[in-house]
Amino acid sequence: MDMVSMGLLAAMGALATVAGASEDLESDVGSQSNPNSQVQLAAQVGHPHRIYNKAISGEPPSNALYAALAAVTASVLMSGYGMNAFFAIAIGAVVAAIFNGIYSVTAYMGRNTSQARFNQYVYLDVLRTHTTTIMAHAYITAFCVVTISYIMTAPWLPIQHPFPMPLVAFIWGLAIGAIGSSTGDVHYGAEREFQAYPFGAGLNAANSGDIVTKGEAGLRSSIDNAWFCARFGGPATGMAFGLTVFLDNWRTTIFDPATQGWLAIATGVVIVILFNVYNRILEIRSKKRYGPYPEYAGDIEA
Amino acid sequence: MSVAAGGGESKIDKTKLMMYGLGGGVLGIYLTHVLNTITGSGYFSFLAGLGVIAAVVMGSDAVRRVCSYGIGTGVPSIGLMAMGMGLVAAWFGLSIGGVAGPIIGIAIAMGFGYFVGLLANRIIKMNIPVMEEVLMTLGGAGAIVLIGLSVVVSGEISYPLIISSVVDTGYIAIIFIAGSLAILHPFNANLGPDETQDRTLVHTISTGALAMFAAGLASLATIGAAGFLTVIIAVIIWIKTFMWYFQLVKRDSSGVVGTGLLPEGGL
Repeated sequence: MDMVSMGLLAAMGALATVAGASEDLESDVGSQSNPNSQVQLAAQVGHPHRIYNKAISGEPPSNALYAALAAVTASVLMSGYGMNAFFAIAIGAVVAAIFNGIYSVTAYMGRNTSQARFNQYVYLDVLRTHTTTIMAHAYITAFCVVTISYIMTAPWLPIQHPFPMPLVAFIWGLAIGAIGSSTGDVHYGAEREFQAYPFGAGLNAANSGDIVTKGEAGLRSSIDNAWFCARFGGPATGMAFGLTVFLDNWRTTIFDPATQGWLAIATGVVIVILFNVYNRILEIRSKKRYGPYPEYAGDIEA
Repeated sequence: MSVAAGGGESKIDKTKLMMYGLGGGVLGIYLTHVLNTITGSGYFSFLAGLGVIAAVVMGSDAVRRVCSYGIGTGVPSIGLMAMGMGLVAAWFGLSIGGVAGPIIGIAIAMGFGYFVGLLANRIIKMNIPVMEEVLMTLGGAGAIVLIGLSVVVSGEISYPLIISSVVDTGYIAIIFIAGSLAILHPFNANLGPDETQDRTLVHTISTGALAMFAAGLASLATIGAAGFLTVIIAVIIWIKTFMWYFQLVKRDSSGVVGTGLLPEGGL
């Protein structure tokens, strides 16, 4: 393992950490993915709101779109017009952010309009203030993911992945969306939307859609949610994606895939087993510290 | 029909939409091939993009019909499944059929879709009456979108050319995902009890234009400056349909307001 590979590996891990955090916050500002169903239900159970409703499929397909679009634009600018990689990736990320903005705006308008019978308005100031925040986060995510893909595929760098750059970016886009959806959304969906219920109470089906629509002062906006999620959900997602990228590339950096492929695979298996053991220990410790959960003793006044 | 999933009355008949989708898609792809070959240029690639928009409208209406049966969270899945079926069939058709490839690919995709629909209803017992017909339509739409956008990038119907300019370069990634979102996003974004067919379909034209734009961008590296024509036409279509969509939002919504508190009863 030479110094250049080590440096690149560190850079990829750092970029992935930033990308993971910004991806989670991007989805939280717009209430995309899992928490979205509660925002969607809110108006139907009598809580019209001023929360952004950005329903763009799931996070994996939408992030795959931004990453692939940014990578295709960058690849066209580099191969067709000989542009410098740094500027090409930056322009690609701008195009991806614009697509993200378009999809977000149409989803907000469409979903809220289809709730007309429940008096859900379309607030244009929500669109104006939130869409730019969402686009800014999407820009950071797309830039970082495409930079990782570029480092993996550039012919003058040591990794030289056999897939073309847009395809690698597409796969990382799917991965970052899946990780953001499974890691970070819990913090927003279970904790922020249901702050009125006791911590750790779980979501009773009867409470579906009964989300908090008022803020500390005035009505809750989705930018408040980004502020809340930036404290834990975003960084946790960043760490998850950063570790995924770092560990995955680390094993192929220390073992040459061409000659020591099996060792790299074995390292991957060992890493998975170690994480499983660690998660189990964490679960048992949390149960000991915070549990056992009390038996059901009637509803608690919130 | 499930109220939660939405899907109001259809003003435009599905047969008409299928006719326009299949006819427009195939016509666009072949016109691009013939005119580009005759003129020896790439200026007519945008016609395949227009064909793709017609097919996307057909696919989106099919998503709308099947998802009205309450497949709320399945909207993205069914859109991606359409592209999956289309991808396999389209590439098979192109590899064996030469210039007739697109028609073979579309036919196989539709048969494939019908078969998957049969499996869903008979074996998994989903018992959704429109499943076979909808998956057949979606398979066809997926194949047209993939072949159409690939022809936008390659400039003509030729398997080796499509492989070298679309697959080897990795542009297939954006064709696949932008095409899927064009089909699945409109109904997903307009989902709700007060969804209307015309609003969803106008939105579909705009997402179809976005897919055409993305393929046009990729074509700048393969067919050169002629790709700008595709990009510019896509942008014009998008601006027009987005404004149209906003008018329909104003028509259907309970209120498009600049700012304000919640309506009566919401506080």
